[in-house]
Amino acid sequence: MEGIWVFIGADSVIFAILFLSFMQDRLKNPALFEASRHTLNMHLGGLDTLILLTSSWSVALAVQAMKRDQIDREPRLLLGGAVTGLMFMASKSIEYFQKFAHGLTPGTNPFYMWYFTLTGIHLAHVVAGTSLLTYLWVRSRRGTYDHLHRAVPESVASYWHLVDLLWIVLFPLLYLMRAG
Amino acid sequence: MAIHAEPTTSTSAPGLSPYRTDYTSWKVMAWTGFAFITAFFCLWGLLARNISPFPAWAEPQAVWDHYKNLRLPIMIGMSVCLTCTAFYMVWSVAVSRVMERIEGSGGVWSKLEMMGGTITCAPIMTACAIWLTAAHEIDNISPGMAHTLYWFGWLLIDLAYFVTSWQIAGASIVFMRDKREKKLVPNIVSWWGWITILSFFVVSAIPFVNTGPLAFNGVISFWIAFFTWFFWIPGLSYYIIKAIPRLQAEDEAAGRLNA
Amino acid sequence: MSVLRERVTWVWLALMVLTCATTWGLSKDLFSPVVAVVGNFLIAAVKVRYVMLDFMELRQAPLPVRAAFEAWPWVVAAVILGFWFATPAVM
Repeated sequence: MEGIWVFIGADSVIFAILFLSFMQDRLKNPALFEASRHTLNMHLGGLDTLILLTSSWSVALAVQAMKRDQIDREPRLLLGGAVTGLMFMASKSIEYFQKFAHGLTPGTNPFYMWYFTLTGIHLAHVVAGTSLLTYLWVRSRRGTYDHLHRAVPESVASYWHLVDLLWIVLFPLLYLMRAG
Repeated sequence: MAIHAEPTTSTSAPGLSPYRTDYTSWKVMAWTGFAFITAFFCLWGLLARNISPFPAWAEPQAVWDHYKNLRLPIMIGMSVCLTCTAFYMVWSVAVSRVMERIEGSGGVWSKLEMMGGTITCAPIMTACAIWLTAAHEIDNISPGMAHTLYWFGWLLIDLAYFVTSWQIAGASIVFMRDKREKKLVPNIVSWWGWITILSFFVVSAIPFVNTGPLAFNGVISFWIAFFTWFFWIPGLSYYIIKAIPRLQAEDEAAGRLNA
Repeated sequence: MSVLRERVTWVWLALMVLTCATTWGLSKDLFSPVVAVVGNFLIAAVKVRYVMLDFMELRQAPLPVRAAFEAWPWVVAAVILGFWFATPAVM
């Protein structure tokens, strides 16, 4: 499914535009952005990165198993990808609830608008990806995928790695970027 | 007395009607996609100053001043754009007819594409009429009314996105199903259609924010959402225009009476 | 376990270590903001590159596609750092 690369490419460019736009807004009010950044939970954010990296690893191993016709290995690796996706969703939910409990919403200030918007759009990507991985897991248990039949799982896997690499940039951008 | 040939079955030529195909009109209609996007970009976008839009956070007096100062360009831009929006409907019919040749004349997606494209004209035309009215009547209305009309237009033109989503979805689904070795419309256009559809959903945030990326003039709700659509229209148009002579050649090669 | 011999596993381990280094290492006050921020984004670009090459299997992609994708993390890091340096310091 070579069209998936159009999707991945376009999504990457769109996110790059958003990163640029975030930095533009930050330029106008660095003190506000820095103060707001301090309220973010860096440990949860770092944990999220570790979770998504592990998820990508599991999915990459699943695709490898397909190429080698190791059909019985596929389900648990795809399930690993889906479960770690769910863990990310749970972690984000906890983080959002912590913010709301402190009265911090997208409307609080421009930093929070960006924080909720960027992580929210990314989270929507995670939800979609986790659903697709779950679908793949179900199909893999029936032995659907092997070296001749792997176009769909490979496309989903490529999408999932995109979701991972977007977070690799998002995390330092929002959580770690100290003011000068 | 003329002997008429048996009508071709739908399995050999899906969507081929028992009547002569008017390839010329079809081709002309396919070109109206370019006509629409040119009119919309130049008249709504440039002349009426919507690229980029006057900000969502502007106060009523600032909005009133905007309409007062730009009254004539906005009136020209909005009135002509309103009229030219009909090109989008015409274009949608040309696209639908190409889709029918893949899906078959009983297909639902080609119907939905045509309806989606036609109905899309309604919020665009109405929003242009609202903004035209604001400019036309600026000396008779208060700043509060100017602000209200400005928002009315944006809420309408933006939030009706889902009609256009179904149009695009139909086109993407059918064109991806094309079994020709060289598809009538390549997958890259269909995938761009999916990107466009996905970029529309966040626009639902516009009633709730006045600033930032999700405001109706923000980087996501305006620049990304509109420009993905702006690239989809000419991208698809190019391949629709090329598809019609291809289909005509297929008909003639098959020796079909209708060609 | 054979999985330990897979390239993707070594890449994963390296990425996990780099994540810990940036999240819990570079964030410490003993690093100046310049070192921390530049370090974070250079490391992020390297991480993205390896996700692209070894997880997404871009090593096997046609050269123009691979080049376009490989450019992305560096362009993004350059733009972000460019803005960061242009932003006034906060007391």
